[in-house]
Amino acid sequence: MLSFAEEMMLLLLDDQDGSFLPIPEWSMQCALAGAVLMDLALADRIDTDVNSLMLVDKKPTGDPLLDPTLERIAAAAEVRGARYWVENTAAYADEIREGALARLVEAGVLNREEDRFLWVFRSRRYPTIDGRAEREVKLRIMGVLLSDEIPDPRDIVIICLCDSCGIFNELLSSRELERARGRIDQVRKLDLIGQAVAKSVWEIQASLAMAAHPVY
Amino acid sequence: MDIGESKEDAVFVLEPKGRLDSANARSFEERVLAALEQGESALLIDFAGLDYISSAGLRVLLMGAKRLQQSGGTIALCALSPSIHEVFEISGFLTIFTVHNDRAAALAAMG
Repeated sequence: MLSFAEEMMLLLLDDQDGSFLPIPEWSMQCALAGAVLMDLALADRIDTDVNSLMLVDKKPTGDPLLDPTLERIAAAAEVRGARYWVENTAAYADEIREGALARLVEAGVLNREEDRFLWVFRSRRYPTIDGRAEREVKLRIMGVLLSDEIPDPRDIVIICLCDSCGIFNELLSSRELERARGRIDQVRKLDLIGQAVAKSVWEIQASLAMAAHPVY
Repeated sequence: MDIGESKEDAVFVLEPKGRLDSANARSFEERVLAALEQGESALLIDFAGLDYISSAGLRVLLMGAKRLQQSGGTIALCALSPSIHEVFEISGFLTIFTVHNDRAAALAAMG
């Protein structure tokens, strides 16, 4: 089974050319942080309530995408809320992203290609070699969005993360998105870490909007 | 965590007491799954004795509700304390579960 960070990477890449979708960097960082925290929660290492994120078991999971975050939570002097840990973990999003991509390349899901832009700037693309995993994630998402069935925890997580970083604008047509909006809003509330991710993204977006259009 | 269990006509009632969190979510999940495997199709979870629920506890409820929905059964909750009701409100679980004020009201509705 893929980790949430790996699933997010598959959804964040353009199917056609393997480049990253135009998602704001902070949104992507928060979504990856949320992905790690949610994997730790489903591995029974942490638990959350509306106020706090609690360490349950500091035993390493053995997953290098997850254990650095678990170590930081275990080493913390005081209990903090989920939002604090989303923003703390977001600072390590580059490592999480690189780790998830490297794992997908190693598993033969993605290929890694180096390009040069204006002969100087390097850019990387990750074209898909084996699209089954991505199709499976998309099917799960659509299965939840297009039905009234109670979603399972993994589906809730991926929908929270997708909505936080605006991937649905890329996955769905504007008409489909309009139809699914109510269901997305219902499902994304069902996970407290997902709510923390959304709040962190929203706050940055709001402060950027304020900076662009200050109220005097 | 102590989990009370009873049968009221066709409704199987589970009554978790104290805290429902990562420390005991697995054992509560086992009790829910055991009830479903016994063929119970109407499950009432009575929260009268529950003081606290975390995300781990909420996930078990969701899993039970999903299983019951798939098999055509029903699940309901009753007697949520104000603090747990607030958790359900914040987490959107009130849109998933039918919640009754007390066990009598729940049994009347499910019977």
